[in-house]
Amino acid sequence: MENKNISQIVQERIKEEGIKPISRKVFSIKRVAFWVIVFSSLLVGAFTFSLALSSLLNNDWDLYNKFGLNFVFKTLPYFWLLSLALFTILGEYYYRKTLLGHRRGIFVILGIYVVFTSVFGLTFYLVGVSNFTEKYLEEGPTVYRNILLNRHEVWSHPDDGLLSGKITRIAPDVLEIIDPNGFVWIVDTSSAVTRGKTEIEIGERIKIIGDKTDNNSFDADELRPWIGMNLLMR
Amino acid sequence: MVDIHSCENITDEQLVELSLSNSDNFLCLSKRYEDKLLRYIIRISKFSREDALDVLQEVLIKTYYNLNGFDPELKFSSWIYRIAHNEAVSAIRKKSVRPTVYMEVEDMSKFSDAFDMTKDIDNSLDRKVIDEALSKLDEKYREVLILRFLDEKEYVEIADILKKPISTVGNLILRGKKLFKEEYEKLIIKN
Repeated sequence: MENKNISQIVQERIKEEGIKPISRKVFSIKRVAFWVIVFSSLLVGAFTFSLALSSLLNNDWDLYNKFGLNFVFKTLPYFWLLSLALFTILGEYYYRKTLLGHRRGIFVILGIYVVFTSVFGLTFYLVGVSNFTEKYLEEGPTVYRNILLNRHEVWSHPDDGLLSGKITRIAPDVLEIIDPNGFVWIVDTSSAVTRGKTEIEIGERIKIIGDKTDNNSFDADELRPWIGMNLLMR
Repeated sequence: MVDIHSCENITDEQLVELSLSNSDNFLCLSKRYEDKLLRYIIRISKFSREDALDVLQEVLIKTYYNLNGFDPELKFSSWIYRIAHNEAVSAIRKKSVRPTVYMEVEDMSKFSDAFDMTKDIDNSLDRKVIDEALSKLDEKYREVLILRFLDEKEYVEIADILKKPISTVGNLILRGKKLFKEEYEKLIIKN
């Protein structure tokens, strides 16, 4: 096989073997698919960012003094932060597979991704997407609720002074609530401080700090909104 | 069909379109790149000419087969070099040999200019020294040095061929040059 003939040999092979170029559509679909994955992961990343942000901003950081560091760790939005990391990695991986994606360094792409995710995520948070989603998830099956919104689990420890639930009856200095596990509690609110934008209305979900006095009785020290700007409460 | 002698004034991109409408026109494209690609394959693989021609044949077939996947946002030469690179690397793996570098006489002057070694080359130092020094380098350095100084590719073209960030290519060339000089000097002393 001589060099001078290689192009002719290739030409003959193309004809003899009936080789045809792969359809343009196949490449177009592949290119579009990569960009769809890149933008989808950006949007889903922004969505999870808004939920993580909501959880962090609404976390009861001030209770660190009372319940310790373990309480803070328990309340961090691990699921959303992990999802955010996974979608960022997914987006970066597929961006690099786009036509010119390889030209930028990994940290540049990650930086751009973080900026866009933060901007879109903050927008989602401000327009109430995270709030709406949290409320929707709260009405969903318990198993998802406990994984996605660990606030439920953290605030279901009456023996440790942490209780939460939906208000079912209101009387002077007394509330009746039903906790996430379906137990009914009579809460004495006579000496309780109401924090932030807590709404004492039937059907509203609230958080309560205090002491368990009986199997279904609780003496409240503080009433807090289920979701609220607790960072701004102090 | 475009006459083989008149395709010199036609751009690569136009030839791609012409090849898609008539496979005979692909001859112009393959003729244009066969020598450059053959040299490149031999440089990075040190295959015999016969083996390198086999690789080149597959490169040209793959190029034709994937011709619709060429996007003019990339240079055609970068795109076909990428196919050649992948095919050569795949062939090296199949043969399970550590690639060494083969340099032709004309490559020596390109390399000596780039590394400011003219004096040594004029003193007719064995070109095996450069060959050996390059072969001792890690693959990631060797491939960028070959593309930069022997195939005379720009950073962005190397980035497109190897699918690496431009900044990484810059760093690899810088570090590769330094490592090459160290290896070269060691071999000079040893010899």
